[in-house]
Order: sequence, then structure tokens, then C-alpha cells
Amino acid sequence: MTGDVSEARLPWEGQAYSAMRFGATITNCDSEPVQTPGCIQGHGALLVLRADNLTVAQVSDNSGALLGHPPETLLGQPVSRVLGEARAEELHAFLAREPVDRNPLYVLTHQGHNGAALDVTVHTIDGVVIVEFESTAHTTADGHDYFTLIKQSVHRLQSASSLQALGDAATAEIRALTGLDRVMVYKFHDDGHGEVVAESRRPDLSSWLGLHYPAQDIPEPAREVFRRTWIRPLREVGAPMSELVPLAHPDTGRPLTMTHCALRGPSVMYTEYLQNMGVTAGLTLSIRHGEQLWGLIAGHHYSGAFDLPYNMRAACELMAQIVSLQHKAAEDRDYLSHQLRFDEVRQLLVTQAANEGGLPAMVDGELTLLDALDAQGAALFHQERWWRVGQTPHDDELDTIADWLIERPEFASSAEPVFVTDALGTLMPCSPELSAVAAGLLALPLSKRGKNLIFWFRPEMLRSVEWGGNPHDKPMVPGPNGLRLTPRRSFELFSDSVRGHSLPWQQWEIELALRFRLVVMQLVISRAEQLTELNLNLARSNDDLDAFAYVASHDLKEPLRGMHKYAHQLADSAALADPLDAQRVEGLIRLTLRMDSLLDSLLHFSRVGRVALELEDVDLDELVHEALEMVVARRGEKPNEVIVAPQLPHMRADRVRLREVFVNLLSNAFKYNEKPTARIEIGWYPPHSVDRKPHWPQDVIQHPIFFVKDNGIGIEARHVEQVYKMFKRLHGRDEYGGGTGAGLTIVKKLLERHGGTVWFDSEPGVGSTFYISLGAQ
Amino acid sequence: MSAALIHPILDLPTCVLVEDSDEDADTVAEALRRCGIPGRLQRVTNGDDCLTLLRGAGATQPPALVLMDLSTPGTDGRDALRQIKEDSKLKCIPVVITSASANPRDLEFCYTAGANAYHVKPVSHPHHLAEMTQVLQYWLGAVRRPAYRMPTA
Repeated sequence: MTGDVSEARLPWEGQAYSAMRFGATITNCDSEPVQTPGCIQGHGALLVLRADNLTVAQVSDNSGALLGHPPETLLGQPVSRVLGEARAEELHAFLAREPVDRNPLYVLTHQGHNGAALDVTVHTIDGVVIVEFESTAHTTADGHDYFTLIKQSVHRLQSASSLQALGDAATAEIRALTGLDRVMVYKFHDDGHGEVVAESRRPDLSSWLGLHYPAQDIPEPAREVFRRTWIRPLREVGAPMSELVPLAHPDTGRPLTMTHCALRGPSVMYTEYLQNMGVTAGLTLSIRHGEQLWGLIAGHHYSGAFDLPYNMRAACELMAQIVSLQHKAAEDRDYLSHQLRFDEVRQLLVTQAANEGGLPAMVDGELTLLDALDAQGAALFHQERWWRVGQTPHDDELDTIADWLIERPEFASSAEPVFVTDALGTLMPCSPELSAVAAGLLALPLSKRGKNLIFWFRPEMLRSVEWGGNPHDKPMVPGPNGLRLTPRRSFELFSDSVRGHSLPWQQWEIELALRFRLVVMQLVISRAEQLTELNLNLARSNDDLDAFAYVASHDLKEPLRGMHKYAHQLADSAALADPLDAQRVEGLIRLTLRMDSLLDSLLHFSRVGRVALELEDVDLDELVHEALEMVVARRGEKPNEVIVAPQLPHMRADRVRLREVFVNLLSNAFKYNEKPTARIEIGWYPPHSVDRKPHWPQDVIQHPIFFVKDNGIGIEARHVEQVYKMFKRLHGRDEYGGGTGAGLTIVKKLLERHGGTVWFDSEPGVGSTFYISLGAQ
Repeated sequence: MSAALIHPILDLPTCVLVEDSDEDADTVAEALRRCGIPGRLQRVTNGDDCLTLLRGAGATQPPALVLMDLSTPGTDGRDALRQIKEDSKLKCIPVVITSASANPRDLEFCYTAGANAYHVKPVSHPHHLAEMTQVLQYWLGAVRRPAYRMPTA
């Protein structure tokens, strides 16, 4: 309860309380003396007797109407004044014989005023004897054999296989037994708020199943009553009450504890609350685990007064006790089957992850982390990025949470490395939006270091559950005792107290998550092992390929060298008188040399794709000039004009291989050129400094682009694709200085190894511009 | 294979050629003729024969050079190289590798094992011939060898 009781004086302070005289308000309802209301429901009468001599100490003020003896004629008199001598003796004997302390039992039927038959029940408490008189009209008239009925009910309750089935059976049985319009099982959550978990109702009523209610709806004093008694009947909501005379016991001055009285006057709060819901009569039973109040069975009636005679009450009470006993077992069974189901899901998830590309399958697979635990969102940090499913914070918020979490001592625990909260916003600075989405957080670390984490999120429960008593459209009505508990008022108070809180994580869920963590870590480790093995195999097959390429080129070159040599010797010998033969032998020599360079290119290419790059900071100015020296030395015979843009940037690259790229491009620029003077320009575009042409690759302008521009022969558009093909030449093999046709293939491969690419603009007869990008640095 | 490696009278420097290709052997022979140094060429076709020759009884003076192809049948050049360089009696003999392979691993292996030089045989005959001529001029002519006699067996 949020109201601060100590600040305000209670209206009834210093005097005996009467529910009829003093109301309670939302802020003091936790102080309402519901066990000593000083009043009873007006349809019955009550006597308080002194235990030693059975004289009347207190009496309800309706005793005149019901028993024929007004209070003033009874006070101080022996009970025989009401019951007659014989019945008084009977009562005396009963009290001596039966276990009636805090346990109301039926004693006898009394002929009341005007000959009405009244059930008399009696119990003792705090040294007084309480005798209650209720009309027996309904008891005698319906003639139910409650014993047979309850036997059947008990059997049905016992065969319920789950908590839900037990709740369903209990509500159905109690409604069948009593005839109430609606019977619900109402479960208390750890934070005190309630939820309707089972319901049996008249078909025309709307269902309240699954609705949640603020904790304030059942104030602490009412809960305390239900820890002590099994049943609270209320025959008619708002019916006249009858006050005790006198309000306090004349001998002790103490108010009467009416916890066990069937006639106990309802609390002001309760009455008003029921009236707000249109309830005209009610029956409430408790469900307990030992001393602990687990929940309530609440019966509502909507069509006037509802008589709950003694034997029906006794039957209901028995049912409540049986439900309480069965309940624990059913909950344990539920927990087990829950565990089994989640164990199965966990197994499936891990299998799925193992089969479908690792941990990310846990957020985008058929089953997700959300199936493994009851949560609305989940996120996984793996391979340097977040993988999210359901309602989660954004990546940057996840980063913030992760950075904050890694410092938490919880993660250092080797036994239970898990972090759990149902109110993240109270622990770390959160925006309202973040604390709403991620009010509940269960986090598991997947590695000792780094932020490999699994998160599950629960939103604040104000958003995640459907609240009963949240009719924002209903105005707040001041009651006769001031602003009172109305559903809306209670909801507002409640929502303040639970803002930023999610439904709590149960211990068994935490244990489940920890088991999940172990399995995932095994998976991570086994995948790492797989990866190591794959890498080993890859290295092995790379070695094999390497060896193959060398052996192939070596073994192919051996005979080639022999052929070449003989051709040479033939050419040298004077025997070739025929000039045609001399030409043929020349051709043979040329072909063997070409074969030699093809083998070299093949070997080179096979290594380009596999050898590890040695990335370093490379000064492109330096590198381009080196490349030019190498090429110009080769192409020095032709007049040329080379322009290099000043101040080329530094890039991260494999120096030797990037130089090879430039050597290839420059040598092509020189080679495929028929102009009297070869003009070659080398330059670059900083990121986003040039417009991307349609045929350029996507996103290339995000990184530096280097170009080699020539005034050469150009490339026809139809050859665009062929340019990069291995050994594909666009020209005759002896035109433009021969060449193997591997140059651009190797350039492309080298750039791809750097994460970059190569492309060109070209116009036949005018020239080509080759562009290269090294990709993201 | 117990012949003396040195011409007993002329004391000519000897080159042991380990080469299974007749064409390449022929090229080396031609290179020796061209290099202008009077020397002897003793050819074997595999590593085993090379080792036998070097360790052979009666071998009183080591050859001036072992010119070794890497991929010979049987005990290949790598193995023969390793054995020569691990043999305290033989390891002073210069071993020059000639191979069609430019595999960096072969280069690394050979130099690590103690090879004195490594040549990749070019396919082009003129180049090949010129290179072999240079090699022989250098190892048979230019360099000085230790005044050293192989211990007799």
C-alpha cells in the first residue's frame, strides 16, 4: 500500500471500530480493522458469551427482530434466555465436547422469533464464545446430500493433471455446488498483484480469465484474514448491517475478533469494490501453501442476495482445503512438465543452431530464444554484432546495457553467471522507453571475456498484461467516506508503484537459463573446434593445391624445356634449307615460350587466391612510382607522357600485391596503345567526391578510388565481361606484345582479396580508365 | 662407381651433375664446353648414385661442384642435398641446385639445408645455356676451393 498511514490520524483512533460508522479510504485501507468490524451482516444474529458461565456479553442489535429479545434484555443474561434451558445445556455439552476453538461448528437448529428456523453455529476465540444464528430456510429446503456431492467433486479435483486443470475443476465444481454466477481462481504474483487463472461463469457473462488486478484490490488486512480462515461469505453486498451492543467487550474493552464468523460484516472497501463491479453477493475461499496465501477462489453473484447456508459453506470450505492440498502437487507437476518442455525446446534450439550456421539461428530460425524462456524480446551478441528477436532495445542501447553489465559482479560468479532484474531502470540510467521495453532483463555471459551475451527482455508489466479494473473511461466517484477505492483509482496508484517493473523472473526460469547457457557454450566450443578442424583441413588442402600447382608446372616444364631446346638446335643447324621449315621451327620455339609463360601465370594465379596478405600502411605515392619504374623500364622504347596526381593517400594493403596491381594496369595502358605518344594519368577520388556511374559497382564511392587512365585502344562494351577471364585475350596472341591474358584476372583477384574491386570506363579508340577500390579499410 | 673424381694427371676440377633429363644434361655439357674452363663433368641420374660417388672408395679429392636437379628419381635432390650437408666429410662441397620449380618452399628448404645456390631452369634454351655457363664459370673458375683432400675410405 502506498498511502502513508502514520501521517494521518485514523478516523476511528481511540475508539471501538464499526464498519458502519467509519469507512476506509484507499490510503488507509491497509489499516482497516477488517477482523474486528464491530458489525455483522444483518440477515443473521450473533451472541458473544462469556466462556465460564455462558452469559451474554455482547449481542447484535437486531436480536429483537430475529431472536425476539432486544439487546437490553439479553446483556448479562444466561444464554438460556434465548435458547431455553434444554438447548442451553446442549450447547454447554457441545462446547465441552467439540473442538470449536476458531472453528465454527453447527450445534442445533433454533426456533427463532416468529417460529423461523435458525441454524446455530458456535466457535470460541480469545476466551469468548460466539454464537451465530442464520436462517435455515435454504438448507432444509434444497435437501442436497452435500456429502455425496462433495465426494464426487473431490474425485474430480484429484484427477486434475495440471494446475490449470485443477483450477478449472475447482471453479466448475464450486459453481455447480453453489449456483453462483461466476467462480474464479485468483492467483497472487510475487509482487502481490493478482491474476485470474481459472474461471467458470454464467455463459452470458464476459470472461475475466487472464486479467490482472493491482495488489491494492485485496488489501493486506483482507489477505491476513484469508491466512486464518478458509471462507468469507457475503450474502448480499450493501445489505443493512447490524452493530454489536456494546461495540467493545464489557469485561476486557476489546473489540470482537470476527475472523471466523460467517456473519462477519464485510469491510467497507470490499463492499464498495464489489459494488463497483456490479456484484450483489460473494463467496471467497482461500488457497494456501501451508501458511502462505497462494490465491483465492472468488465467487460472484450478480442477481441479488445469495444464501450460503452452513452445510454449503462447509462443503465449499472442504473444497478449498482440498484444492490447497492438491494445488502444491499440481504446481510441482506443472513445473516438471514446464521444465521438460523447455528442455526439449532448448535441445531443439541447440540442434537447430548446430545445423544451421550457429548461434544466429537462435534468433532467426524456426525456433528462437523466445521459445526457450517466457520473454517478449531476446538479443544475442555474436560475431561482433547483435542478433535480435521480438521486442528489444536498439543496438546502441544493447551496447550500453552490455558495457554496464560486464562490470557487474554477477557475471564473475563461476557457479551462477547470470544477471537478473525486473526493474532495470532502477539499476542503470535508462530512458523511459528503454526501461519500458527492457524493464525485465535476464542476461547470460557466453564467454569469460568480451561481450558475448544472451539477453532476454520483459517489458514493464503495465504493458505486457491485460489489467482488470483499468476503465480509464469511468470517472472517479467520491464515496460517502471521501475518495474511495474505485477500480480506476486503485489502478492509478498501482501503476505508479509498478512502473518500470516487469513480471519477475522465477527461480526455475533462472535455473533453466543457466542450463541453457551451458548447452550453448558447449555448442560454441564444439563449433570452435569444428572451425579449427576446418581451418586445418583448409590449410592442408591449400598446401596440397600449392604442391600440385608447383609439381604440375615443374613436370610440365621439364618436357617443354626439352622441346624448346631441340627446336632451338634445329633452328641453329644449317639443315633447314627450306625457309618454310625454318619458319615452322621458329613457331615451335615461340609456342614453347608461350606455354612457359602460361604455366607461370597459372601458378601465380593459383597462389594469388590463397597466400595470406601482409597488410601494412602503404604510401601510394611511393608505390605508384615504383610500379612506373618497373613498367617504364619495360616500355621505355615508346614516347610517353605520364601524369601522377600529387599526394596520393596512404592505404592499408599488401604492398607487393598492390604494386603488382598497378604494374599490371600500367603495363596494359602502355601495351594497348597505338597513339604516337602514350598518355597515362594516375589519380584518385576521395570518398564521396565523385558521382557513381550506373555501371560502377555499388557503394564504391564510399571509399577512395584510384584510377589509371590511358589514351589507348579502349575496350568494346561487348567485351566487358571477358576482360577478367583467365587467359582470355581480346587480341591476337602476338598483337600488342603478346601476354598471357592473366593480368586483369590477377588484378581482380588481388583486389578482391583486399576486399575491393576493379572496374573501368572505356571508349574504343579513345582510351580506357581503370578504377580500383580497396574496399573498407 | 668408385672412379676417382679428379683426373689423376691433369688435376682438372670436376663437376658432378645430378640430372635425369638427357636434354638438360646435354645443355650443361655444352655450357661446360663454352665456359672456357677445362673441367670434367661426371653425370649421375639420381641422388643415390651421387652419394655413392661422393663417398666412394678411392675418392681422394672432392669435386669442385655438385650441380643437382631437385626432382630426380629415387633419392631426390632434396634428400641428397640434406645428406651431403649433414655429412662432415662432404659438407664443404658446393652444391648448386637447378630446378624447374620456383616454389618458395623448395628455395627455403634448399638454402636451409645448406645449398650454395639455387637456379630456376628457364625454358628458353639460350637463357638456360647462358645461365649454366655462368654457373660453371663461377664455380669452376672464379671461386677458390679449400686445399683439401677427401679422406680415403
